Amino acid sequence: MADTRTVLSIRGAERRYRADHAALAGADLDLHAGRITALLGPSGSGKSTLLRAIAGLERLEAGSICLGGTCWNDTATHVAPEARRVGMVFQDYALFPHMTALANVAFGLTGPDKTTRAQAQLEAAELGHRAKAYPHELSGGEQQRVALARALAPQPSVVLLDEPFSGLDRRLRAELRERTIDTLRTAGTTALIVTHDAEEAMAVADQLALMDGGRIIQTGPPDDVWMSPVSATAARLLGDVEIIESQVTDGQAKTPFGPVDANGFDDGQPVSVLIRPRAFTLSLDPDGPCTITRRRSAGPHLTHRFASEIGEWTAQTPAPSPIREGDRVSVELDPAYVRVVAA
Amino acid sequence: MDKAGSPSRLPGRSSGLAVLAALVCAAPILAVAWIALTRDSGDYLQHLAQTRLPVYLTTSALVALVAGGGAGLIGTTLGWLIARTDFPGRKTLSWVLILPLAVPAYVAAYAWLDLSQAGGPLDAVTDGLFPTIRGGVGAGLMFALVLYPYVYLLARDTFASQSADAYNAARTLGAGPLTAFWRTSLPMARPAVAAGLALVAMESLADYGTVSHLGAPTLSIGLIRAWSGAGSLVDAARLSLVLVFIALVVFGLERAQRSRARSVNASGRHKPAPRLALNGGPALAAMAACLTPLLLGMIIPLGRLVWLAAHTETATGLAAASLHSLTLAGITALIAAALGLATAYSLRSRTTIATLAARAAGLGYAVPGAVAAVGVIAILSGTQALIDPAWRALTGEVFPILLTGTGAALVFAYLSRFAAAAISPSETALARITPSLDGAARTLGATRRRRVWHIHWPLIAAGVTSAGLLVFVEVLKELPATMILRPFNYDTLAIIAHNFASDERLGEAAMPSLLIPLVALLPMIFVARYLSRQDR
Repeated sequence: MADTRTVLSIRGAERRYRADHAALAGADLDLHAGRITALLGPSGSGKSTLLRAIAGLERLEAGSICLGGTCWNDTATHVAPEARRVGMVFQDYALFPHMTALANVAFGLTGPDKTTRAQAQLEAAELGHRAKAYPHELSGGEQQRVALARALAPQPSVVLLDEPFSGLDRRLRAELRERTIDTLRTAGTTALIVTHDAEEAMAVADQLALMDGGRIIQTGPPDDVWMSPVSATAARLLGDVEIIESQVTDGQAKTPFGPVDANGFDDGQPVSVLIRPRAFTLSLDPDGPCTITRRRSAGPHLTHRFASEIGEWTAQTPAPSPIREGDRVSVELDPAYVRVVAA
Repeated sequence: MDKAGSPSRLPGRSSGLAVLAALVCAAPILAVAWIALTRDSGDYLQHLAQTRLPVYLTTSALVALVAGGGAGLIGTTLGWLIARTDFPGRKTLSWVLILPLAVPAYVAAYAWLDLSQAGGPLDAVTDGLFPTIRGGVGAGLMFALVLYPYVYLLARDTFASQSADAYNAARTLGAGPLTAFWRTSLPMARPAVAAGLALVAMESLADYGTVSHLGAPTLSIGLIRAWSGAGSLVDAARLSLVLVFIALVVFGLERAQRSRARSVNASGRHKPAPRLALNGGPALAAMAACLTPLLLGMIIPLGRLVWLAAHTETATGLAAASLHSLTLAGITALIAAALGLATAYSLRSRTTIATLAARAAGLGYAVPGAVAAVGVIAILSGTQALIDPAWRALTGEVFPILLTGTGAALVFAYLSRFAAAAISPSETALARITPSLDGAARTLGATRRRRVWHIHWPLIAAGVTSAGLLVFVEVLKELPATMILRPFNYDTLAIIAHNFASDERLGEAAMPSLLIPLVALLPMIFVARYLSRQDR
């Protein structure tokens, strides 16, 4: 990650479909050269709209999208999609049904050698032998690879992928994900991948961008974002989290499981304590304050639902575990998986 | 500068043409309504209400019921056989079964009445046991035999797209194969069958040639008599309104029963049901079931006409009539295809005006040809009356009868009836071009021109051509509007056939009657094969 040059920068992007509903409400985002950014958010958060705005398929009402020194969108201009040279992989792949795989890949190319170049692109995707096949003759995974090859062929400055792995079964999905990442890395392309799957986002991204309500609420390397979410919403986007409302006293926030460091918040300030399920350590204790109300196996770990007089929470514990339903337990917190944010 | 809408909205800029299409289609019926409701009528209608109207109404109902019942039975059975079973010849039969649409019902009627009437070959062979094909039931049967493809097509495509899940779920819940079919597959196909039946009923009610030849006095007979016998535009307009009202009721019923039901599984995932392989006896039975309507609706009647034509001296004037038929059908088809495509394009923009225009144009399909003709006369003579005084003041002469006496009036009436038929094939074809397809082409640098010629046109060409050819065949077969509006001494094949047949000169009617399905067959084969394509 030597090169962190910003390739594309989006500032204050706004777009509303109805007067009362903004799909984009001032989104800011930077894409860095040769790096893969994953855009994660719940459905309706504006991810696809942002992607389409970058491609020029969507017009912004305010804000700017600039590539290097050239602005595609600002108050006065809207560069047409065909003039942007952005590669896009659509959610339904949008392969041209009346063209062969080869013709699809060659569509964005010009010059006398375009067929050769398209064929080379297909070979790189290990689909050289399927060049003459029509889209409906290809499997779902092959269609996705053709769509990616087609987007990459014109060597675009940025590649956008809209939920590229949805609609595929789980095993194929993981395989295709690795392949796609390899392809993007080999091509050295700047890429933006939209997804609503947290695991997928963290697996593919050099940089993670969390989106909610038409805004980018946090960006950073996946590990950092996961460990230090800036808000309860950000934490929830990345996985299960218990949220305990508290107030800072003496530089600490009180929780039912003991005080935690207040993360620099001033005394008297209301805060939310975010606790990942794996922060809880449960131990059998006949005099413990909590009771196990539910126990579920989930492969390598277990989830224990436990309750006291003041509430009920979920813990993730390594399997195997002797703790059964109805057992009394005492609870400790691992501060590494606890984060205090503004309420 | 470029215009981009919401993701589901596509740029469509042909609203102007769509509005024109809507005007062409809706104007005649609006003119009819205007005249019927605002002008005083003579005694004719009152007289009619007291004498013939009840007969017209009951005969119309009988004809529509027999036609719908027969076409429903044939179309649904064949649709299921082709979509869900496999037997030798199925793939070919899949499109061949659509071809009877090339045979006008009145042509089938000429042949069947000739075969079955007293002294005819069937009467002689069966010693008088074979019933004579005539009256309301006979006419209804003729419609069932040549119009069943409407039901067949819709039923076939619905059965083919039905997911196996509902049927399998019924099986796991304890239903046998037949019960499961009866309680899941068939009800799921009902909206499609009903839509087909509505078309069959409409076409039967709009027909003139068949019912007049077989002696089944339906409303359209009353309408033509009011115009050509009594010469009353107002009375004709009032009868037209009755006919249109019935048509709207038919389509209304079809919509109403469809409104809440969904025939497609909501998940969008589609696992097609495996075909039931038929062998031996069942396979032969399936083939027989498919060949019977083909024999009865096409091969036997056309065979009889070939025999008749071979034994009669060919009448003169057929070459001119063929040319007239081809010209009218060709011009109308081209314009209808263009209007249909333009309307379908503007529908993509999802603006209110485009949707309204498309719906108004669709109304034309519910308007029988005779009604469209009456409407066109009302409009053109109204226009003539407007221009006339000004023309006289300028030139001192009477304004030449340019409007009502030309082929343009005919094309106008044909368009108002058939342009609607060209919209939905174009719409279906355009629906294949999803917004992301446009988006993909644009991100790959394609200009608007390149998108239209390299993405849109290859994907819609066959659909638009089919739409045009369908209109071509319909115009070729059309009789009542042509009778009312044709210029003096301007005969078409349908007119010549009808005139000879109503003079009981069936031998001479045979050749023009044969020429219509022969000319219609090639375009119909194209349409049938297009409609039966797997990847459509």
